[in-house]
Amino acid sequence: MSDTKVSKTPEQLASERHASFSRRRFLNGAGAAVALPAMASLMPRGAFAASTKATAPTRMAFVYIPNGAIPAAWWPAGEGGADFALSPTLAPLAKVQKSLQVISGLEDLSADPGPDGAGDHARAGATFLTGVRIKKTAGSDIHAGVSIDQVVANQIGHLTRFPSLELSCDVVRKSGECDSGYACAYEYNMAWRSHNEPLSPEHNPRFAFERLFGDGPVKQRVANLRRRQAEQNSILDYVLADAKSVNAKLDGRDRQKLDQYLTSVREIEQRIELTAKMKVQNPEIDAPAGVPVNYAEHVALMFDMLLLAFQTDSTRVATLLMAREGSNRPFADIGIASGHHDLTHHKNSPEIIAKVQEIDRWYVTRLAAFLEKMDATQDVDGQSLLHHSMIMYGSGNADGNRHTHDNLPIVVAGAGSGTFKTGRYVKVKPTPLTNMFLTMADGMGASAIEKHGDSTGRLSI
Amino acid sequence: MGLAIALPVSLIVSSSSEANSEPASIEVYETTVLPLLEKHCYECHGDGYDKGKVAFDQLETPDQILAPELWVKVLVNTRAGLMPADKKPRLSAGEQATLERWIKRDVFRIDPKNPDPGRVTVRRLNRVEYRNTVRDLLGVDYNTEHEFPPDDTGYGFDNIGDALTTSPMLMEKYVAAAQAIINEAVPVMPRKPAEHRVAGTDFAGQNARSKWGKRQLLFSEPASVAASYKNDLPGSYRVKFDLQVNGTYTPDPGKARLVLKVDGKEVTSQEMVYHDEKDFEFESTHRWKPGEHTFSIELSPTVPSGGEKTTTDLFVDEVTVEGPLEAAQWVATTDYDKFFPRAVPQDREARRVYARELLGAFATRAYRRPLNDDTADRLAGLAEATYTQKGKSFEQGVAHAMAAVLASPRFLFKLEQPASHAVSAAVADVDEYSLASRLSYFLWSTMPDDELLQLAAKGDLRRNIPAQIARMLKDPRSESFARNFTGQWLQARDVEGIASNPRQIILRDAGEEETLRQLRQAWMKQDETTAKILADKIDRIVESKPDFDNDMRKAMRSETEMYFAYVMRENRPVTELIDSNYTFLNEELAKMYDITGVSGKDLRKVTLPEGSARGGVLTQGSALLVTSNPDRTSPVKRGLFVLNNFLGTPPPPPPANVPALEASESEFKDGHDPTLREVLKVHREAPMCRSCHNRMDPIGLAFENFNAIGAWRDTERKQPIAAEGNLITGETFTSVAQLKKILANDHREEFYRTLSTKLMTYATGRGMEYYDVETIDQIVKRLDDEDGKFGALLTGIVESAPFQKMRTQATVTAAN
Repeated sequence: MSDTKVSKTPEQLASERHASFSRRRFLNGAGAAVALPAMASLMPRGAFAASTKATAPTRMAFVYIPNGAIPAAWWPAGEGGADFALSPTLAPLAKVQKSLQVISGLEDLSADPGPDGAGDHARAGATFLTGVRIKKTAGSDIHAGVSIDQVVANQIGHLTRFPSLELSCDVVRKSGECDSGYACAYEYNMAWRSHNEPLSPEHNPRFAFERLFGDGPVKQRVANLRRRQAEQNSILDYVLADAKSVNAKLDGRDRQKLDQYLTSVREIEQRIELTAKMKVQNPEIDAPAGVPVNYAEHVALMFDMLLLAFQTDSTRVATLLMAREGSNRPFADIGIASGHHDLTHHKNSPEIIAKVQEIDRWYVTRLAAFLEKMDATQDVDGQSLLHHSMIMYGSGNADGNRHTHDNLPIVVAGAGSGTFKTGRYVKVKPTPLTNMFLTMADGMGASAIEKHGDSTGRLSI
Repeated sequence: MGLAIALPVSLIVSSSSEANSEPASIEVYETTVLPLLEKHCYECHGDGYDKGKVAFDQLETPDQILAPELWVKVLVNTRAGLMPADKKPRLSAGEQATLERWIKRDVFRIDPKNPDPGRVTVRRLNRVEYRNTVRDLLGVDYNTEHEFPPDDTGYGFDNIGDALTTSPMLMEKYVAAAQAIINEAVPVMPRKPAEHRVAGTDFAGQNARSKWGKRQLLFSEPASVAASYKNDLPGSYRVKFDLQVNGTYTPDPGKARLVLKVDGKEVTSQEMVYHDEKDFEFESTHRWKPGEHTFSIELSPTVPSGGEKTTTDLFVDEVTVEGPLEAAQWVATTDYDKFFPRAVPQDREARRVYARELLGAFATRAYRRPLNDDTADRLAGLAEATYTQKGKSFEQGVAHAMAAVLASPRFLFKLEQPASHAVSAAVADVDEYSLASRLSYFLWSTMPDDELLQLAAKGDLRRNIPAQIARMLKDPRSESFARNFTGQWLQARDVEGIASNPRQIILRDAGEEETLRQLRQAWMKQDETTAKILADKIDRIVESKPDFDNDMRKAMRSETEMYFAYVMRENRPVTELIDSNYTFLNEELAKMYDITGVSGKDLRKVTLPEGSARGGVLTQGSALLVTSNPDRTSPVKRGLFVLNNFLGTPPPPPPANVPALEASESEFKDGHDPTLREVLKVHREAPMCRSCHNRMDPIGLAFENFNAIGAWRDTERKQPIAAEGNLITGETFTSVAQLKKILANDHREEFYRTLSTKLMTYATGRGMEYYDVETIDQIVKRLDDEDGKFGALLTGIVESAPFQKMRTQATVTAAN
């Protein structure tokens, strides 16, 4: 690592110079993204979780970016269709352009202020996958809705060892109060199991990996996983009995809290049962060491975990929070010292807008790397993993400056095994985002869903 | 104070003699309250005006008149002097008292003699409490901050029952943690080979370097180090080298051959490559006679330097010698007796009785109350089911059942019970065990100790509260209270992780942002010569300031914690949290604060020089840092911080679509980089921004002499800083020192009330509701009567109804 290269920004140099101070605390990462195994060695034909034929399952993931995107740089020119040129912000997706759709016109109006006033960030985050108005509360009566990933997981989650996977790249949380009287839970969680049960995401790639595949050396991993689970069974029996004796005495909200506990215990029991029945696909690689100090590396690793989970059919439903809505992260590695959120309120200063665009493109660049890997990974039927997936990428804020929630920046990558026709820019008239969720749910084989949040029907495109 | 859902409170207290019937309440309103409103409020909130959508003359039905939400606002705003607004005369003391009496008694229906304790949703241990509880229960430090996801917060705190949830992922982690903790804590072998450790730092020789207090060898240079150990008994010995390979940042190509020798004989030889904090263990077994034995470690570079230099290190953690391995020579296992005080019986029934006894005692402590009948039986059964398996020992069976205890809801949740005697049909004291846990989790963030549990068992805790508070504050565990409360009330927790760019900040203060812009252009143009000159100039400016590194961040956090702990333990007036002539510093922090005469790494109490702007938490690095943006100060955030956390009068949130400050910078067409004071002035010119920013900005601007990392500065962008201003409530100041005096004196009551509200929230684990107004008022009065002493606040809280009592089941049912 040399200091004389001209390509480095002053901030990069500064951060390198100061690296030694923070490395003990932060640096556990493997440096770069893990080297993912080739499909062939990993996944013998027919070794899928619950499928008997060599037909590949469909997967679905939602990837969140905070604070919207500068619309002028996000949207491609032209009237849409298959023949479109990627916009400056989306340009990094060039290699997978044929496998994705840019969709305009989708909206999340539950995030509008309505009678609740300020708090667009908390709302945008918590309404994004739930499609319902959230209750403005600092904590006593949190109320969002069930998120679409959980709705789908409820139907098809039993087919894989994990009904769903929740990931995040936010390592540090803010203390004290969050956005304008909304509890912090609304910003830091994408997935909601019930109206008041957010599913806290995992931000440590090592833990995510070990949860999926077990811990220890590569060869012993699966055996470790099974042994540990066998030991856990009798513990779970005991605590269930304990919980029942407690629960009988409780009422109201106390009972809800214990019910959450009980549901969680039962879910682990089911997982243990499934693990006993199914073959655990063990990627022949070391687990990541931990959370890299470098944000780009962290994001890349979390995407790798997502890919591994899909590739090994450990789950088919996932959410990944790149950063919480309202994130004020600076991007020193591209020379941006101010916080993202501060910058999005740019009042049309071209200099500031340019910086926000750079951040928007920074995020898209991470997505592109992930999609390219998904595209290069072969699924059991010879198609790409990306072909069998629906990766929705976007934000509940459209224009971060004005806090708008219509015409959201949305990209859906992957054909969902034929659910979507890819390689096009689709312009739809203003339509609830939740309508598209219903279409995606259909593609996942969870077809009985009549309505989700503010949906008004299915999006047929 | 949050607006409560108007639920069953009226049910609870309506039977009391104090409260009026609804018609009577309306009558009092019309005869005594309405005239006050007409006199003081109708100019904006009546006679056709409805500023802020409040019009008192539109209240018609009893339901509208008696709705608590409106009157919470009336109470807060009149007390803070924010209403009547715009220099109109305030209500007289008598009028204010009339208004408050009616609001409390008739709207909130509070019976001051028997206030509603409210209801706390059952609280899961948060990850701090879990860690401390496990430490006190088993002596194991399990790093929950690393292992568990962050807890969701409510009302700004992470111990709020309603906000804490238990997801399947967390539950998995709880079960895994239980197993790992028990595995570490409980020795399952009564005897085992003796163990001796040779510290890595004992290794000496060629190129033996040190880093982070450990022995460090470099991949880039040959090294050969050795240490020795003398054994007394002949036999077999196992020698284990614990090493770690740790590279910087990104993989590098460096490789080195590692050779390990025992008594000069090679036991390992292998080529090592880059890893990031990867541990290696090398084991070998030897037959030894008594005598001296040497262990040596040799490292020689195999990929020579040149090209990119390797920065990978090999750390020597330790060498463990185990032996003699022959069973006859084994020694008693450390701590075995602590968990298994007697020999394990052979008889099946006696084993079961022993297991039951051990597990019953353990679960009683872990559950923090006596067990119900069958728990010990079930645990003994669980242990038996394990130790009767082939290859499992009795101890392993007991340990397994202990792990189950740690995964139980009775361990993970603070389950509370009413005392057998009820105060009224709706309210009961919590039982003494619940009280013991409430106290210990409040003041120690951990489980009750033996003394608290013994008092509870005897039913003597409640009458010994003052003595117990005094004892608990003296105990080192009360540092958790200072740490967790300031960590969240003042966000001191965020100090170590918050994004900050000291370079940019220092250059802004120095008015050299342009140099940075030029440097960036030079990089882009690949003009190396210019870039070097500019970079050197910037380095000189930045390096003339104290290093803002992780040690500095830690010191800032400690300063705030120690300061609070001092006020708490020494029973100082709580106003010293705003203003005082002392603080806590080490050498680095003192440098940052321009204070001389402090040397060394440890923080200690320092009396500030005459005229110092420091003193009080508001001018500590922690508060100044967490209220700043990554690249500059934010007077708005600082003003808001004071309003929220010290005065209890947060302005309403900004309307949607307001421009941020940077936006206003573009208004300065003459090309100079404007100061924040200039920018904010432009911002306040917008009518929609003015009313709130007039409250926030003057306070925040008073702190402009402190930059975004908490250092003093006289200029911003080469222009002098003037810290003068007027508060919306009329007071004028010319310096931050004066502002602190105004806050500590003229706004003392608001501060008492705000601090009491925050601390009650933290102590009870729920948000404060309108019916808590009287409880808080009583604590404020107590503070006032006792010169603001911290002890008055603490005792007031612990003795309050919400802390001592609970709604009974019948009421809880009604509330849900």
